[in-house]
Amino acid sequence: MTRETALSAVPDLRRFYATAAFHRGNASDTVPDERVTLTGVRVDLADLADYSRLCGFSLTGILPLTYPQLLGFPLQMAVMAGEGFPLPLIGAVHVENVVTVHRPLQADDRLDLVVHAQNLRPHRRGRQVDLVTEVSVKGEPAWHGVSTYLARGAEHPEAPTSPAPPLDGDETSTGPAVGPVWRLGENLGRSYAAVSGDWNPIHVHALTARPLGFSSAIAHGMYTYARAVAALAPRLPDAGVTSRVWFRKPVRLPSTVRLRSCVSPGRTLSRLESVDAEVEHAIIEQVW
Amino acid sequence: MATKPTPRKTRRAAVLGGNRIPFARANGAYAKASNQDMLTATLDGLVARYGLAGERLGEVVAGAVLKHSRDFNLTRETVLGSRLDPTTPAYDVQQACGTGLEAAILVANKVALGQIEVGIAGGVDSASDAPIAVSEGLRHTLLAANRAKTVAQRAKALAGLRPGDLLPSIPQNVEPRTGLSMGQHMAITAERWGITREAQDELAAASHQHLAAAYERGFYDDLVTPYLDVTRDNNLRADSTVEKLAKLKPVFGKGEHATMTAGNSTPLTDGASAVLIASEEWSREHHLTPLAWLVDAETAAVDYVHGDEGLLMAPAYAVPRLLARNGLALQDFDFYEIHEAFAATVLTTLKAWEDPAFCRDRLGLAGALGAIDPAKLNVNGSSLAAGHPFAATGGRILASLAKGLHENGGGRGLISICAAGGQGVVAILEA
Repeated sequence: MTRETALSAVPDLRRFYATAAFHRGNASDTVPDERVTLTGVRVDLADLADYSRLCGFSLTGILPLTYPQLLGFPLQMAVMAGEGFPLPLIGAVHVENVVTVHRPLQADDRLDLVVHAQNLRPHRRGRQVDLVTEVSVKGEPAWHGVSTYLARGAEHPEAPTSPAPPLDGDETSTGPAVGPVWRLGENLGRSYAAVSGDWNPIHVHALTARPLGFSSAIAHGMYTYARAVAALAPRLPDAGVTSRVWFRKPVRLPSTVRLRSCVSPGRTLSRLESVDAEVEHAIIEQVW
Repeated sequence: MATKPTPRKTRRAAVLGGNRIPFARANGAYAKASNQDMLTATLDGLVARYGLAGERLGEVVAGAVLKHSRDFNLTRETVLGSRLDPTTPAYDVQQACGTGLEAAILVANKVALGQIEVGIAGGVDSASDAPIAVSEGLRHTLLAANRAKTVAQRAKALAGLRPGDLLPSIPQNVEPRTGLSMGQHMAITAERWGITREAQDELAAASHQHLAAAYERGFYDDLVTPYLDVTRDNNLRADSTVEKLAKLKPVFGKGEHATMTAGNSTPLTDGASAVLIASEEWSREHHLTPLAWLVDAETAAVDYVHGDEGLLMAPAYAVPRLLARNGLALQDFDFYEIHEAFAATVLTTLKAWEDPAFCRDRLGLAGALGAIDPAKLNVNGSSLAAGHPFAATGGRILASLAKGLHENGGGRGLISICAAGGQGVVAILEA
């Protein structure tokens, strides 16, 4: 039977990170049958303004496509920190994210959030799991997100992959590179942590990232993704959109990146890359 | 021999509708919204209302009075962040509080000349998210250091810095040439014209009551889009009365002649507005009904620096020139929209037009322009109630008057807006 955990307030993410070492995961091949809920969430307009400014969204009163992810993230952490969750809390890597917007979310909507885990499965380099976030307003489904996290471990070379769509050669991968170029500063991880609450040490500082196997702090995937979504937002409708990101090589801070996009009716396809085009950081596809 | 091109005739420019966000008192609901945020929300609201998503328009013209240096291309940047086709050109204008109406005149003139079929005019201002600059001393020091070619030169340049240079430069609501605030200027003019405290408070109370009534009857339903939890102009006091306003202490002027209070002066406000203007043909093709036609416009300026005219008196000069060109009398209008920078501004302007000596000596007319019917003045409320985000006021007035004329089943309206720098922008609408 599904266990329901109804939260009365947004959990403090710092608590999860402080106790993360105790959530080592286990060998179980299923995820606990648990749903974490939080109802009546009201967006803080000052927080929304800070997030929008940092990621490049206009503050229009309609929630950016990526914003509910940020609201649901503490619930995801609560699920992953729960007893019997098979993957460890620290060191899990965000590899993919899919968001579908059914109806536009207004900044003053009261949001009901439900998060559960599903589909624990092998990955070439370990195991991966989906954390599903559902947002509804007055019982009406509004926003649906699936975040896929990978825990490195025993390799499964035979595991099926989820390939990103091929980039249409001429527009994005050859010829002079054109597209927004962003300088991402050394302090970006701390800036995004301040607006998102995600103080994962791999993002905060080189000194806190090093023990976890990174030579420098790396940008939050949801930041670089949001930045790309923001750059394309004016070309997309407010609802009826599915936006998907495949995270590739992490963005080491500081660095300079470029977004190259093909925009066609009903679809955008973009590649976030290092400014010298040598490193592919993410592929983003949005369809409507 | 080349054939001579036929001279093109001008045509009428239609006001099809408008959109604005509710105006909010400064440092409140929109404290964290930038000019670009508010203008984008307003533009997208207009785009949604008139089905313009993905359309390439002739142009978008807008501006802001309080502007960050990074916003040099504010309107084009806003278009790029909006749902309009990114190939829609745009440019900024700035004529202080006349910005919004001047932007509309520019768009309407291009439509009239056949240079464009459709455009959007707008304006935005944030008194909350105001630009703060470095002091002149620090700026000169930094520029000198930047020009320096050697470390020694750079060190020398930076050594010139004085502690006082570190104080930032904050924008002030004063006239650069007189050092007086707009309210102080207005207080001088009001005293000269003997404008009473009671008359000012009456006008202010009427503004609140008219605006509240207009909201109640749904007049603003298709002119205003809620933004950041604000659904109505939050300066509006529906229960405002002359008695309540009479209790406020004067803030401008001195002694017994001090009549101007926070209640009969506009507060600093954040907000944005936009108006859709098009040719008759474009309107027909898009199945949109013109609300009114922007018939003609005039601007004027006065010498408030060394001359003896009041800072906000320019519309008093612009209107008679506009009337003469159109063969109209001041009484030939069904509605008058006189921007309430201060209640005293409206009252002084009206009193000047009733004054034979002023009309003869200053305006060069044979006699007084005469009085207007006060029942036709600012019938749906004006800036004292709605607030006054400088560049956004023109679009608010234009869209409201166009709708008012359309509701009325026709008629003629006069818009009069005073602006900093001793300028005035006025226009005629007909439906």
